[in-house]
Amino acid sequence: MESSYLIGGIIMAMCATYATRVIPFIWFRTREPSPLIKYIELNMPVMIMVILVFYALKDVKWEIYPYGLAEIIGVSVAIGLHVKFKNALLSIFIATLVYMVLIQKIL
Amino acid sequence: MNFLALVKLTIPVMMGYIPLGMAFGLLLSKLLIPWYYALFMSMFIFAGSGQFLILTLFASQATILEIGIATFLLNLRHTFYGLSMISTFKEFSWKKHYLIFGLTDETFALLKTSEVPEANREKAYLWITFLNQCYWIVGSVVGAILGNILPFNYEGIEFSLTALFVVLSIELYKKNKLHKPFFVSLIIGFLGMLVFPPQKMLILSLCLAAFVLIVFKRSMESGK
Repeated sequence: MESSYLIGGIIMAMCATYATRVIPFIWFRTREPSPLIKYIELNMPVMIMVILVFYALKDVKWEIYPYGLAEIIGVSVAIGLHVKFKNALLSIFIATLVYMVLIQKIL
Repeated sequence: MNFLALVKLTIPVMMGYIPLGMAFGLLLSKLLIPWYYALFMSMFIFAGSGQFLILTLFASQATILEIGIATFLLNLRHTFYGLSMISTFKEFSWKKHYLIFGLTDETFALLKTSEVPEANREKAYLWITFLNQCYWIVGSVVGAILGNILPFNYEGIEFSLTALFVVLSIELYKKNKLHKPFFVSLIIGFLGMLVFPPQKMLILSLCLAAFVLIVFKRSMESGK
């Protein structure tokens, strides 16, 4: 591949990605956010986070063996540990370890 | 918040970004693209799924305009993240442009849940974003140079990002005054995962969530 093509593509992708992230800041630089925007700002993050969980699971093949079992167990371990011990690092670390053992050695 | 605490905060992202970055670098090297392009892309674009998409577009010789449009559409979800950060970033200096540049899914997740005292917030946010980008850069460069000769079986380690989102969902649920948006997004996310086409799942679910949040504002705010 030619370097001019690669560099052009990278610059284009850089601008496009930055644009998606900067749009709201440009829009509200001069305007005062309305109560509706403040309401969205307050309540959208939890919705984004929950949807990101399902997004991370979107490629799981639920209908064929092992039916997403490793993912279900991994997520359950993360929830269980986090509700009980409230230690983010511990929950994430153990859940990932359980998941890796499951897909590499067991399922 | 001292530096060590910040590093600790970003460890889950490191566990996800290094192997994922390596997968990206490996793919790049398989397309016979020189390794330093992995460095450029991770430095100047810094978008996980976006960079994978760009590689596929490079491989199919897409035009530069197509690359721009496709990346824009894929990353459009980040607009929602910015929308949730407006008042937080408002007081910050010009350095906030780096924060905006670095607002990936995972950086957004950490910034939104980290509890930094207001006085140190800008500095801490800059460090979190910078550390995350470093993990991503290191992963992608290592992957591009030696991805196919490393013996360690790190299959499944990217689950740390899933677990991170799970944990941060619980944290945000506890923090949020209203609890209905959480349950509504459980339904939307679950249905979205089953019904929407995988590549468009995230943006469609987020738009639906924003739509429901706005249209049903009154019932969201009633009850608890």
